[in-house]
Amino acid sequence: MDPAFLLVLDAIALIVATLTLTYFFIRDILKTKSKK
Amino acid sequence: MLEVSFIDYGIIITYFALLFIIGYFVKRKIHGLNDYFLAGRRLTLPIFVATLVSTWYGGLLGVGELSFSYGFVNWIINGFFWYLVYLFFAFFLANRIRRTKLYTIPDQLERFYDKKSRFLGAIFNFIMVSPAPYILSLGIIFNFLFGLELWITILIVAFVMIFYTIRGGFVGVVYTDIIQFILMMIGVAILIPIAVQTYGGFDFLTNALSNPNLALGYIDTTQHLTLTGTQTTQWILIWGFIAFWTLADPGFYQRCYAAKDDKIPKRGILASIGFWLLFDICTTFTGIYAVAASQAGLLEVESALTSYLSIAGALLPVGLLGLFLTGLIATVMSTADSFTFLGAMNISHDLYKNIFKKDATEKQVIRATKIGIIITVGFAIVLSLYFTSIVDMWYYIGTVGISAMIVPILFGFFYKKRLSPLAGITSMIAGSTTSLIWIAHGYANAVFGWPVYIGGVEPLYPGLLASLLVFVIVNTIHVRRMK
Repeated sequence: MDPAFLLVLDAIALIVATLTLTYFFIRDILKTKSKK
Repeated sequence: MLEVSFIDYGIIITYFALLFIIGYFVKRKIHGLNDYFLAGRRLTLPIFVATLVSTWYGGLLGVGELSFSYGFVNWIINGFFWYLVYLFFAFFLANRIRRTKLYTIPDQLERFYDKKSRFLGAIFNFIMVSPAPYILSLGIIFNFLFGLELWITILIVAFVMIFYTIRGGFVGVVYTDIIQFILMMIGVAILIPIAVQTYGGFDFLTNALSNPNLALGYIDTTQHLTLTGTQTTQWILIWGFIAFWTLADPGFYQRCYAAKDDKIPKRGILASIGFWLLFDICTTFTGIYAVAASQAGLLEVESALTSYLSIAGALLPVGLLGLFLTGLIATVMSTADSFTFLGAMNISHDLYKNIFKKDATEKQVIRATKIGIIITVGFAIVLSLYFTSIVDMWYYIGTVGISAMIVPILFGFFYKKRLSPLAGITSMIAGSTTSLIWIAHGYANAVFGWPVYIGGVEPLYPGLLASLLVFVIVNTIHVRRMK
């Protein structure tokens, strides 16, 4: 296997992790709003 | 100058408009000093991670320069060593800091020692958090993108930042950090798969980097894929010491204070290490791909410092280039705004409220912070117009600041016996003065403009050693007398 495959996997993992965290931000912000 | 289409410019302008809008509306969330300084101590885990990751990572052009010039060793000096210090911070300091419910590092110094230590600590903190290197970075990026004069770009960037930090305080910083975090992560991640697809995998890297001709006429790339590159162990270890900066970093402390509960800081730092790890691998290999493509004659690079801009300009299609450039700008901007706000807090909270005007009302302190933002940015603009090298600025600010602050802070947190206020202040003076004299001596004996240090020893070592020795001696003698 070409180690460059792991590099691509790293980049994809970064994007997925960022999108997951984005989901949690939105959830947190909406939660705060609904509490008000 | 980079060739950028109007769609890419549109993306960059939209980003700036977004910062303005956030700055404008976020003011509604400010109901008092606690909101203005620490977002009401309500940072949840995801928001803690976004603001810490984006603030901490500001020197993307410098990282590009290092990975282009030295290869994989960039990951060791700008990644690996730092993860070790972050882990120490997460396990031994983070939750402890949160529990004190203070605002700044000088607050801690007053808790451990006295008002004089707070005063001196505030001044060192103010120098350490100067946004000058980041304002200069942004100036260089805009100069490269738009071809405008450096001083004009520096003023434009400063104006946008002042607007939303003054209006929104720490809430404004945190909300803009969320947007900047998403942009910087995705902006950097998109380049790697495209580089692999365009140039090829590791076979391409190995072949291109084994080219014996020097890249840009001075960079030997034959060791770029090894762990240590062409660097000596001493050079690599110095960076390990620089990573100790984390232990006195006001941005880390501020976010720990602002966390919603006592458990978030530790968990948040551990999650952030995951993001930094993935991100650092992308940035290191982007630099390596840039130098390899240049060695293979497939990419024209002007300088190591602007190598990221060159590879992005060559590989990314319209739209994605705009996203990458916005990510690059966001990386620097998120650090510049946080540092500006921290510098302003040193002026308003540490000096104005706690030393000069103890009966100041919340309104007066907020007003002093707003003035502090303008002073901090003004000071940074002057610095960035006179210093032309970002790396030099980082190096000297870091060396003097770490030499002064690390020893009294660590003793404060971990030494269980009685502490002498005199030891705190004298060790700060001894550490900073020693490193300053060492730097001055190095420059007095410079060869071709490069400082030559005594015995080849970098100024951080004697600075830390002097600080430690003075602390131990003064503390031992003075505590005995205090009894």
